[in-house]
Amino acid sequence: MSGPLAALRVVEICDELGQYAGKLMADMGADVVKLEPPHGSSARGVGPFVDDEPGPNRSLNFWYHNTNKRSVVLDLDNSEKDRELARDLINGADVFLEGLPPGRGKDLALDYDTLVVANPSLIHCAITPFGQDGPWANYHSSDLVALAAGGPMNMNGYDPEDASGAPPIHGKGDQAYNTGAHYAVMGILTALVARDASGRGQYIDCSMHEALSSSTEVGLPHWLYTNTNIFRQTGRHAAVIRTERWLHRARDGKDVLVFNIGRSNESWKKLKIWMQSHGFGKQFDEERFDDPSARQAARGGTEAKEIFQEVSRFVAALDADDVYRGAQACGLPWGTVRSPDETVDDLHLHDRGHFVETKGEGLEGRALMPGAPYVMSGTPWEFRFPAPKLGEHTDEVLRELRDPTLG
Amino acid sequence: MATLPLQGVRVIDLTWIIAGPTATRFLGDFGADVIKIEHEQAVDPIRLGRPIVGDHPTLNNSGFFNYINRNKRSVLLNVRHPFGMDLLKRLIAVSDVVIENFSAGTLASWDLDYPKLCEIREDIIYCSISGFGHTGRDSENTTWGPTAQALGGLTLTSGLPGKPPAGWGYSFMDHTAGYSATIAILMALHHRNRTGEGQHIDLSQVEAATVLNGPAVLDRTVNGRTWRREGLPPGNRAWEPAVAPHNTYPCLGDDRWIAIAVMTQAEWEALGRAMAEPPWVSDERFASNASRLVHQDILDKHIADWTSSRHDYETMELLQAAGVRAAVCQKPSDRVEKDPQLKARDWWQRLSHTELGNTVHDSIAPRLSENPGALRKASPLIGEHTREVFAEALGLTEAEIDEFMEAGVFM
Repeated sequence: MSGPLAALRVVEICDELGQYAGKLMADMGADVVKLEPPHGSSARGVGPFVDDEPGPNRSLNFWYHNTNKRSVVLDLDNSEKDRELARDLINGADVFLEGLPPGRGKDLALDYDTLVVANPSLIHCAITPFGQDGPWANYHSSDLVALAAGGPMNMNGYDPEDASGAPPIHGKGDQAYNTGAHYAVMGILTALVARDASGRGQYIDCSMHEALSSSTEVGLPHWLYTNTNIFRQTGRHAAVIRTERWLHRARDGKDVLVFNIGRSNESWKKLKIWMQSHGFGKQFDEERFDDPSARQAARGGTEAKEIFQEVSRFVAALDADDVYRGAQACGLPWGTVRSPDETVDDLHLHDRGHFVETKGEGLEGRALMPGAPYVMSGTPWEFRFPAPKLGEHTDEVLRELRDPTLG
Repeated sequence: MATLPLQGVRVIDLTWIIAGPTATRFLGDFGADVIKIEHEQAVDPIRLGRPIVGDHPTLNNSGFFNYINRNKRSVLLNVRHPFGMDLLKRLIAVSDVVIENFSAGTLASWDLDYPKLCEIREDIIYCSISGFGHTGRDSENTTWGPTAQALGGLTLTSGLPGKPPAGWGYSFMDHTAGYSATIAILMALHHRNRTGEGQHIDLSQVEAATVLNGPAVLDRTVNGRTWRREGLPPGNRAWEPAVAPHNTYPCLGDDRWIAIAVMTQAEWEALGRAMAEPPWVSDERFASNASRLVHQDILDKHIADWTSSRHDYETMELLQAAGVRAAVCQKPSDRVEKDPQLKARDWWQRLSHTELGNTVHDSIAPRLSENPGALRKASPLIGEHTREVFAEALGLTEAEIDEFMEAGVFM
């Protein structure tokens, strides 16, 4: 079996914004040729690095976001010959994924109007911070700036008693870039399904700003229907009314997400028995706790506050993972607030083969990293080879270009 | 009107809450015929979700439901009724995709696991979205969006040092699990178009989260370093790449903030020019990125002093004109009422809804030149399309539909 995109040829010119979109296609079998300038993609300069030593082939950020791609160095800014090679490559490709500033493609004669003449089935996706037109089209962005403008950040923050006057908080891990990349790939694949029927390609204008503005859950509806802005709360959903805390600290110092208590009688009964077996929640046998609506903070329940206080004492007496597992056994969707790296200790994820081993410059042996975002029965995710060294495949790819029977 | 790119793709939508409906929203926006199967005894809780318009929930007056479920059709179907299950199977037989986000095992308990679905339709694409996936020792465990964020490492990486995690403030992973499911479904459709084969997509919400933190995992497996350490999370300062200044700064007004990210030396110099070169910018301590990182406290204080007497949007424009990455931390009201970029690109559209009136919707990203998505209709009333769908998809007559109606099949 091979990936669902095994026959797909992609040319990518992307740095931090867009490289994850290339990975999502490469990991499903597409041949993604990444064009880089002679000094390499700026993403090669993003840490952490192997042993904290910077170097074009030592960025772990780059390793992760460029699996299964081939790297070709072309000097598009200074060489017409290299621009011609890029056009030849795109002419033979199904997808051109680029993150060039608006207008730059035209300067390089790598714009859709030029490319479509020779390759009418081309799907050309341009991913940019704010889109191809409009007053902000040429504005610069970053992961922080994008999450600020797009709206997600305004929902993350603190109750005043935890951090008075605190700003909206930037969740880490390039999540603005990731959401932008998800939209780019959804667009490319939609165009691909359309092309399966029509044979024709098209141009896609993917704005990270619009992707993020589409991804803020209940934030927009509250404004659109009641002219109310939600406010930020520590470690739980932003809301228009103050809600009970969701994060409680366990004995080992880790936080646990604790919520959804008392909705169903079945899980409430199990929770009660579990807590009482540890000497907590004796009062829960009283009749006043029997009514589900009395138990729910969101419904203004009278007993809810008391329940949360007792659960908080209970959590403080156990280790976080014991709370997580015990609560799940009661049918409650609680979870340990893990550090990203603690996921590699999760045996369930290993049961599913979620982690794969990669290698690279400066690393002796191999190291685990997350693998498939989805398990597909017919066309599986596949780690074929690690992120390329800068220019690793220049000769190989240009040879194939001259002789299409290769590759 | 141009052809919608997913026209002709029929989706049996057994999903509810947010993750699944986010996937089917995208598919519906691009023209798939999304048929939302509903049951009056177990309604999608979002039909009762705030904000609602009016005093009481009516199942049809939730603005939140309207936001996630536009461009879909709704049928009422009681699958616990033998005729109801039979009709569901007949619908599946004329559909391309079945999607659900129940707990693992639920569909199997209906005797509708993947092999069974294949008996009904050989090339069906079946997408299950669950907390932990359908295999592995914890497959019985359940998640809501915030659980996947906690277990996947997203909650912990958002916060001020020395404070509890701030988390994401919403179900980021419901959106993202929906996007991941959409990607997998579209790939499966492409594969089916080429080979005639369907497949099962087993999407785990936790795994859809862990894949968003690859570099942090590699920092542990390569460098032996955990994220659980002094100084992390760093608030709005940068983790990687390690650059400064990189933060949010207060502006005039209540809870008004601007985010500024200086990634290069040239951008640092541009920031100095934009601020009209106050004497402190030439302080030795701020001469290089390495030194600015060491002296972030005083650096951030200087910048905050400058921004705090200024208006947010003006400052954003000034900085952007100078080539500095900066943006207002926009609230929902800002995006709808002020954001000139969304406005210029006609982002806000209107759709009429029987109970909610003339409702505002965000437009469709990304923008396809030949077959763009289209806002065709607002969210369906519960059961609004029962007659229409069963007549059209299965060819049932009025009389047959009346008969099933009497028998309690459509409820």
